[in-house]
Amino acid sequence: MEYLLAAIFLPLFPLSILFNVLFARTGSNWLRILLITVWPVTGVYIIVLLGENPPQWIVVWAALTALLYAFRSLVMRELNRWTAYMATSSWALLWLVFLPQSESSAQWLIATALVTPLIFMVWLTGRFEKRFGGVYTGLINGLAINTPRMATLLVFVVLAVIATPLFPGFFALLGMVNKLLPVIPLVAIGVLMVWFLWTWSGIRILQGLMVGPASEDCFTDIGFSALVSVMLILIAYVVTGLTLSGGLL
Amino acid sequence: MLIDALLVLTVALPLLFAVMAQLVEFRPNRIAASICITGLVLTFFSTLMLLALALQGEPAKALHIGSYWGVLLFDPLSSLMAFVISGISLLVHLYSRRYMAEERGYSRFFIQLSLMTSALLLMVSAGDLVSLLIAWHLVGVLLYFLLGHDVSSKSAHRYASWTLLTYRIGDIPLLLAAVLLYQAFGTWSLQEIFAQLQSVPDIKTIFGLPLAETIASLVALSAFARSAQFLLHTWLPYSMGGPTPVSALMHAGIVNAGGFLINRFAPVFLHTDLVLHWVFFVGLITAVIGSVLMLAQNDIKKALGYSTMGQMGFMVMECGVGAFSLAIYHLIAHGLFKGTLFLSAGSVINHAREDDGVPKDDLYTFVVERRPAVMKRPWLLMAAVSLIVPIVILAMAHMLVAGDYFHQQGAVVLLFFGWVTGAQLIFATYRIRTENIWRLIGLILVSFTIVVLGYAFISHAFEIFLYPNESIRDGIYQAAGIDIFWFDLLVIVLTLTVVFGWLAAYYTEHNARHLKARAQLIRQSFYTLLARELFVVTLYRRLSGFLLGSATRLNVLLRWY
Repeated sequence: MEYLLAAIFLPLFPLSILFNVLFARTGSNWLRILLITVWPVTGVYIIVLLGENPPQWIVVWAALTALLYAFRSLVMRELNRWTAYMATSSWALLWLVFLPQSESSAQWLIATALVTPLIFMVWLTGRFEKRFGGVYTGLINGLAINTPRMATLLVFVVLAVIATPLFPGFFALLGMVNKLLPVIPLVAIGVLMVWFLWTWSGIRILQGLMVGPASEDCFTDIGFSALVSVMLILIAYVVTGLTLSGGLL
Repeated sequence: MLIDALLVLTVALPLLFAVMAQLVEFRPNRIAASICITGLVLTFFSTLMLLALALQGEPAKALHIGSYWGVLLFDPLSSLMAFVISGISLLVHLYSRRYMAEERGYSRFFIQLSLMTSALLLMVSAGDLVSLLIAWHLVGVLLYFLLGHDVSSKSAHRYASWTLLTYRIGDIPLLLAAVLLYQAFGTWSLQEIFAQLQSVPDIKTIFGLPLAETIASLVALSAFARSAQFLLHTWLPYSMGGPTPVSALMHAGIVNAGGFLINRFAPVFLHTDLVLHWVFFVGLITAVIGSVLMLAQNDIKKALGYSTMGQMGFMVMECGVGAFSLAIYHLIAHGLFKGTLFLSAGSVINHAREDDGVPKDDLYTFVVERRPAVMKRPWLLMAAVSLIVPIVILAMAHMLVAGDYFHQQGAVVLLFFGWVTGAQLIFATYRIRTENIWRLIGLILVSFTIVVLGYAFISHAFEIFLYPNESIRDGIYQAAGIDIFWFDLLVIVLTLTVVFGWLAAYYTEHNARHLKARAQLIRQSFYTLLARELFVVTLYRRLSGFLLGSATRLNVLLRWY
């Protein structure tokens, strides 16, 4: 029963559909931020409370779920849904950190490293929605020219979501592979496949939104101070990750 | 102390100046470019001092910055590569100052260029696996943004993403190799890993595989993706949509990283049996296919891309025969000439529009008008000259440098390539319509001798500098060697093939005009195959189309939740 509950919050397919439906139907951006923060934390907390490592079949199932959603995100054109897919994929991976001899602090660090950029993503998507209505690739493009500051933020946040170095997600995934490879090598290779698909997906979403000619419509970009503030937070996130990278590895 | 400071400065200066340029990016003047160039000038001097210290014989040294990872390495390989990278990057920065003046995102371009330089310098100076992985990965990401500098060009971004995805494919084996090494030795430090591997070379890893062989294979795979080896090459000829200075940097510095990586892991390759053989094979296939595809292109930029692919194949092949230091010499030489080609391409096109400047002499009628000689010389004599003279020059040059040269199998294999190249050169001369062929051949042979002597001396000097330990040099050649019986047999077969092949080529050129109609048909079919780039690009397009189509169908099935 506890595992079933955990499988809802650290979504395993098909229970993952629940989170994706809920996320898609949540209208308020603040509620979405709350959802994307509380949901995985609840899942991790449940497993920590259980005090035992999940059986290997769940670990394999989690890896397959991560792979499935990473694969499906390749063709997702709506930014909010894309974030939900990426969230499902990365949270499923959190099952893999509960291995024998893994430290509790490392588990929370990895969870934080993977969840934080998604919070940025939801916030940023809200900013875009405020200006454009919906954020679909193909429908909106040329953001790099039309709203360069928001585009800059989008690039950095997407890079953080797909675990590019020096963002903490990179160290989290490297640490995960490091711990999995001697125990379940095929799952470790699965994690690397997920990582590759994230990159492909991230690049597709960036290309779809950023690249294109200048629009004749006039869009309001975010202010310089807002850009600097968010960039400073992102830098703090990177520096924290670098400082704690030893624990992640 | 001086080395420590220089190591930190080498990696940090371009990064620091890029950050400074970012802070003034919003200013309308071009101060960001000046800041980045200043940073690069300082970096260049820093790497120059490091190289000078390495040439003076300073011992290898590791500087630990972080407690867990973050080691910078000073050794002949890192100092030489850092010097080359900073030099080429400085030239590219200076060139871009005017070249990119009319482009949107001028400051952004310089900032990204400096960041790329920093990542490349970190890659060659990395003394631990985590730093190496970070730099290796970042080079791919930064290259994506540099190639996609024109944010309004969808095609530039599409091909930039091909590059990034191929690089990511190459990241995976390197990451696996890093983790396996950490699992085996409990450290990320390259120096410690190599020292421990020396004492237990037969150690096993997952699935009971031999560690050295597995790591070397993974490292080679990673190098193949970075250096555009066959089947992982499609990004290279298509990544010309980026700005010309980026193409120059990419072809002169980034694509060569595969050769560097194999050299960095030389102490692992030392303990392998089979890996270098298939490295040689992949390099050979790439060199041949890259060169052939280059000849079949009608787009000059694509042709340059395939030319680089061929050169990279040759570089990897050199690694495969155990001539690791020669690969470094090759990548530097190739970087310099290919960088020059790209940077001068624009002005050459401009001049050519006004005046092609080509003298209508024998060479012109042969190369441009494709009119081979009408007056035929005695073909048997010419074939004998083609076959004997180059091999004599090559053998003498090598014996002059090192007496025991021919004991190394790799050296003999490379000699074959030198031989075939020399013969091809004389064959081309034979086909030219000229009154004084002996004068032309004389000039070509003098040039050939100078090139061969220069190459033999420099490659030997590189070997002594990069691998001062003789046992490592011999060990690598041994790892690349095969059983002496089979090697001798191969040498005999290849020698006969080359001799009869050239005799046939001369005979056909001289006599067999009636064969031309049939040959033309085969030639056309072959040309079609080459013009479609052996259908590799088509295959990949179909495959990615299939994957994306499957993802869409899956999403529809699951109602997009």
